[in-house]
Amino acid sequence: MISEFLSYGFVQRGLLAGSLVAVICALLGVFLVLKRLSLIGDGLSHVCLTGVALGLLTQTSPLYMSVPVVLVASLGILQIMEKIKIYGDAAIGIVSAAGLAVGILLTALAGGFNADLFGFLFGSILTVGRGEVLWCAVLLAALLLFLLFYYRDLIAASFDESFARTRGIAVRRLNATLIIFTSLAIVLACKVVGIFLISALIIVPPVTALLFAKTFKQVLWLSCVQAVVSVWVGVYLSFLFNIPSGATIILVNLVFLVAAFIYSRMGRSYAQGERKNAR
Amino acid sequence: MPSVIEAKKVQFKYTRTLVLDKVSFNVQAGDYVGIIGPNGGGKTTLLKLILGLEKGAGEIKLFGTPVAQFSDWQKIGYLAQKSPVSQSRFPISVQEVVLMGLCFDKEHKEATPENLRAVRRALSQTHTLNLSKRIFSDLSVGQQQRVLLARALVSEPKLLILDEPSAALDGSSREMFFALLGELNKKNGVTILLITHDTGEVGKYISKFMYIDRELVFFGDKEEFCHSQKVAEKLGAFAQHTIDHLHNHGHCPLGCSCVHTVEQEEAAHD
Repeated sequence: MISEFLSYGFVQRGLLAGSLVAVICALLGVFLVLKRLSLIGDGLSHVCLTGVALGLLTQTSPLYMSVPVVLVASLGILQIMEKIKIYGDAAIGIVSAAGLAVGILLTALAGGFNADLFGFLFGSILTVGRGEVLWCAVLLAALLLFLLFYYRDLIAASFDESFARTRGIAVRRLNATLIIFTSLAIVLACKVVGIFLISALIIVPPVTALLFAKTFKQVLWLSCVQAVVSVWVGVYLSFLFNIPSGATIILVNLVFLVAAFIYSRMGRSYAQGERKNAR
Repeated sequence: MPSVIEAKKVQFKYTRTLVLDKVSFNVQAGDYVGIIGPNGGGKTTLLKLILGLEKGAGEIKLFGTPVAQFSDWQKIGYLAQKSPVSQSRFPISVQEVVLMGLCFDKEHKEATPENLRAVRRALSQTHTLNLSKRIFSDLSVGQQQRVLLARALVSEPKLLILDEPSAALDGSSREMFFALLGELNKKNGVTILLITHDTGEVGKYISKFMYIDRELVFFGDKEEFCHSQKVAEKLGAFAQHTIDHLHNHGHCPLGCSCVHTVEQEEAAHD
């Protein structure tokens, strides 16, 4: 059954693109969660709807149309946070609502919901093309290079932004780069898990890893492994039971989160018991 | 020799509220300055302006260089009032946190033997060497604050900037904390700028006071501070009465040498 499943070209492409996107989202998610900016994925994915609707309205590629729209929105969030000095979650909420409202209006103008739009809203990993797989690989390579060069700076800036600035670290530039990467990841991820579920791919694997990882590198590795495994298991289950793949991927991720939570609680209780016995 | 900090007509507005107005002062090498003033008086904002974390009007120079162009960050150690991760889990060790204090150029970012020696020295200074392998966010708030002081000290800074650093510390840790700062100032000549509400405990180590209440009310030697008419007006009748009362009984609440006990005066007469 599994070998038959893996023999299809569209499944191979879907799994490859899904794995690449999962790793990108997990790596970015670690820094976004620790910087308390994890909801940026949610906000920007809603803006993605504007890009997709614009693409459908103008009969151009929804993905290519989404890139500039989401990039502008992400820089808008940064500007609102820095210049108007409002909280990050409020800035994300404003841009998210604007993106969703404009997206719905454009969708109505484009003639309402159709199969293409549903694919972006709820994900259609098995319709991913070769070009999209290539874009995912390029984005992951660029992200890995960025992390390689700025690993310590990113940790310092995520841990304590003010102190990092007093070490001469260009925190604003790092934040902007991180958010630009997130924008591009969201555009590519919306076909894998769908606009409504992208943020879970960014948030859930790092939060799970943070429950019991002892080092920062462990968090990065565990997040990536969980994200990739959940894509493979999710796609296989969706194939097996003929259920939506995007939602299944996210539910598998949530199963990991609950299991990790129970495991970490049990570990803590066991450690407390050991300490009591030692006394 | 240029001043360590030179501030000229520094002004800062938050939206439409004037937080600091035309503040000018010079801090010289070896000064230990206690910054005091009411809540919302602009003390933390002043430190942020000095560190380049906020931008305002006027001019601030660090070691003779305008703060916007300043790049010699290893000369400066900074400790904020609150730990950055007191509520959430951040999976890095105490050693890695202190190493961040050296994070100002490529060669200092890595855990080389030389950098690790500097980290151990800083942890020993703050009596936290035994915590070096622990996860920082698992420590108590007081322990975290001592580790963050080690992070501020690891680059052997010439200037230490501290924003109410002792708020989360217990009595004995606070004593150790201020004694260490006093020693760094006296023995190593480190210039210190410290926001505090705890003038009694830290007063004996401080050489100068700065009183900020939107404007610079007072900046000068500790002895002059006790008798400053402008400070007396700002502190109000009750606080001034307390200072006067303690002076009359031979105790300066700021630990200055401007009072003499009855015994000392009798001894002087003899």
